[in-house]
Amino acid sequence: MSDGDLTIQPLFAIGPLVITNTVMTTWLISIALWLFTWLLSRRLTLQPGPLQTAVEGIVATIENAIKAVAPDHYRQIMPFIGSLWIYLVIANLCGLIPGLHSPTRDLSATAALAILVFLSTHWFGIRIQGPKSYLHHFLSPSPILLPFNLISEVTRTIALAVRLFGNMMSLEMAALLILLVAGFLAPVPILMLHIVEALVQAYIFGMLALIYVAGAIQSQQLRQSQKE
Amino acid sequence: MELSWSTFVLEIINFLVLVWILKRFLYRPVLDIVDKRRQSINDELQQARQQRDEADRLKGEYENRLADWEQERQQLRDKLAEELDEERSRQLTALQEQLRSEQEKAAVSEQQRRAETSRQTELQALQQASGFAARLLQEASGPELETRLVELVLRDLDALPGDQLESLQTQWGDPPAKIDITSAFTLPAQQRQGLETALQRVTGLTPQFSYNKDDSLLAGLQISIGAWVLNMNLRDELKGFAEFAHVTH
Repeated sequence: MSDGDLTIQPLFAIGPLVITNTVMTTWLISIALWLFTWLLSRRLTLQPGPLQTAVEGIVATIENAIKAVAPDHYRQIMPFIGSLWIYLVIANLCGLIPGLHSPTRDLSATAALAILVFLSTHWFGIRIQGPKSYLHHFLSPSPILLPFNLISEVTRTIALAVRLFGNMMSLEMAALLILLVAGFLAPVPILMLHIVEALVQAYIFGMLALIYVAGAIQSQQLRQSQKE
Repeated sequence: MELSWSTFVLEIINFLVLVWILKRFLYRPVLDIVDKRRQSINDELQQARQQRDEADRLKGEYENRLADWEQERQQLRDKLAEELDEERSRQLTALQEQLRSEQEKAAVSEQQRRAETSRQTELQALQQASGFAARLLQEASGPELETRLVELVLRDLDALPGDQLESLQTQWGDPPAKIDITSAFTLPAQQRQGLETALQRVTGLTPQFSYNKDDSLLAGLQISIGAWVLNMNLRDELKGFAEFAHVTH
């Protein structure tokens, strides 16, 4: 392991676009998920086998978690939030595979996901509530809080990106430092912690995104219920 | 820690593509299959409820039908008992009627048997009486009685009216050439002469007379003129008496 393991290495360039190992890993993950789901979708039956049962359990768990937060619109936001959870779990655990690095240790990737969460929050809010009703929630409970609401929108997006990036980056760095200091097999405990941390960070990122989107969707309902 | 805009853009595009892939190949098919399974389970539950309701309805219907059958069976049983009573009564009446008829037949048969017994007894008594009389007359018979019987014959022949004589003369058909006279005792010449004279007068012929002796006659005569036989003796009289008694009973 060298110092280059902690840096983002460009592999090649397509015109102005530089393809880094982060993008390549993301493509590999996407292709693997596409192949897996494509093969799975061709073999779905009413009498499920063990694999189908496991996949249905995962999907049902995601659906139930989203339904608990946004019971009226869970079908609309499920693809986005569910994809976040699935992608982040796989991406975070990629660091355990020798030769691969987690895409989420790259700030560009986490920032891209955070921006998508930011945009999808407003997208779902405007789409479901309408632009006037949605934008009105920036003025609640008082127009004086408009700057704070706007700052909050930006800062929570930045926090979302930096939190995931920092945790994953620090885990890999800690494992690398222990490997350098203590030698072979010494980072195994920290790698076990990596598994837990990868699952926790994926859950936190996805749950925060869900809460943001659900908050944007249901802000009008919340105001109406508060008035009542 | 640096931000690569190309990575940033490619990650956004890549994630959006991934969302589409998962929506197309994971969420939609899996949720569809789950919905189908849920729908199938609901259908089966609905079908099970319908079958249960149908079973309950059929159960109620069968219970009612069983009750109807039980009632109908009881009615049929009562009707059968009534018919059996009627049949028993009818057969008992017929049996009594048959018994009464048999009793009447038996009474008639008994009466006939008694009458036959009485008749046989009387006939037997008559035959015994005839036998006793024959034995008595056999012991008591003799030439004197025969003489007396010949005299009776002669008297009766003399007393025959003219029309009867004509009738007798036509009964024996062709004129007989010989007249047989049988007696229990030997007839004296005087009686023979008297008989020949009387018979020539009665027949209007002059046939040849033949005299025979037969002890079984006891006493008296038997005159044969062709097919015509005149019996004037104790044996035939007793026999005729017995036959007359038999016919009259």
